[in-house]
Amino acid sequence: MNAYVVFCHPHHDSLAGAALDRVLRGLERGAHSVRMSDLYADGFEPALSLDEKTNQLVDHREHPEVRPSLAGYIDNLTWCDTLVLVYPTWWGGQPAMLKGWFDRVWVTGVVYELPAGKNRITALLHNVKRIVVVTTHGSSKLVNAVQGEPGKRTVTRSLRALCNHWCRTDWLAMYAVDRATPEQCDRFLDRVERHLRSLR
Amino acid sequence: MHQRRTSVAVMRAVVILANPNPESLSHAAAATAASSLQARGHDVVVHDLYAEGFRAAMSADERRAYHGDQPVLDDLVATHVADIRSADLLVFVYPTWWAGLPAMLKGWVDRVMVPGVAFRFDDDHRVQPNLTNVKRIIGISTYGSRWAYVKAINDNGRRTLVRTVRLSTGLLTRSTWLAMYRMDTAGPERCGAFLRKIAQTMESL
Repeated sequence: MNAYVVFCHPHHDSLAGAALDRVLRGLERGAHSVRMSDLYADGFEPALSLDEKTNQLVDHREHPEVRPSLAGYIDNLTWCDTLVLVYPTWWGGQPAMLKGWFDRVWVTGVVYELPAGKNRITALLHNVKRIVVVTTHGSSKLVNAVQGEPGKRTVTRSLRALCNHWCRTDWLAMYAVDRATPEQCDRFLDRVERHLRSLR
Repeated sequence: MHQRRTSVAVMRAVVILANPNPESLSHAAAATAASSLQARGHDVVVHDLYAEGFRAAMSADERRAYHGDQPVLDDLVATHVADIRSADLLVFVYPTWWAGLPAMLKGWVDRVMVPGVAFRFDDDHRVQPNLTNVKRIIGISTYGSRWAYVKAINDNGRRTLVRTVRLSTGLLTRSTWLAMYRMDTAGPERCGAFLRKIAQTMESL
């Protein structure tokens, strides 16, 4: 399995950082090939620029020179069969840093194409057959359900629709982190490692 | 006209605009919303996040300070905080990307709506609303997809602003949503109709 892990948290000494360690350990024990991006460590700029907006419909396969700073991310995205996202849920969804990674890296010609005169895009990211999300929510599962889980739906619906037709999504989430005990955190981390190790 | 103005309570509106292209329909929509509100005598502040050079990503230092006494570390964020604290009306104008908020606007929520501003923790460490001055949230968004596709895939940007953010303003806050679908094939007529709808909505508040 080729797993591409995208980590998004400003601190490694966070619960998300601990989860990342267990993700990597689980993948290592499962003898999977791993590539990783740490968006904060990379100093990734999440805001899509005016230039990128103007060139939004320039096919990346034909003109890869248009987005030189994104080449590494795009290469990893097309290399993997399993995408693993590790991040804290803020305001019901992905932190701006990770949302910006979707906005900027999921480009036309690689992830999708928009046929001329149409309003509906065609999916191209067929190599991605599984998306695993490892996330931590400050608030309870009930509060998140009332909010409508926008972050979860972004992955399980919007992003999945761009991947392989049979793409699966695994949701490994810890809720109510603000009031959690160390034992609950440990149980969550064990579950994360077990899950990543057992992926086939 | 003068009589009409005095009969309407003056509201303070803050318009948050997130689109990198100054020629975009979002910019026209924000300008229309602002001028329609001003025409009714309301106070309007417009924040064009790209033009102001707003930083989208919460920094490592801001994350460390998040649960402390002073979570706001940046002057620009402090300006926005002061504005929304006295706002009656929040207007968000943005293009929907991947069914959600552009990173720039999500970053505004992450960095401006911090503890002590948007919400506070009670003794049981549960979140309580703190922006109860906001009486209405208005979303103005453009979508590439058709209405039916947006509904099927879920309008996560709308959910974030109407449900998640509203937990900070209180459940009495009303919301209004103005959407333009199928942007990629829209001509000047549909864009004009959309702007007229925005003007009408703002004037009827």
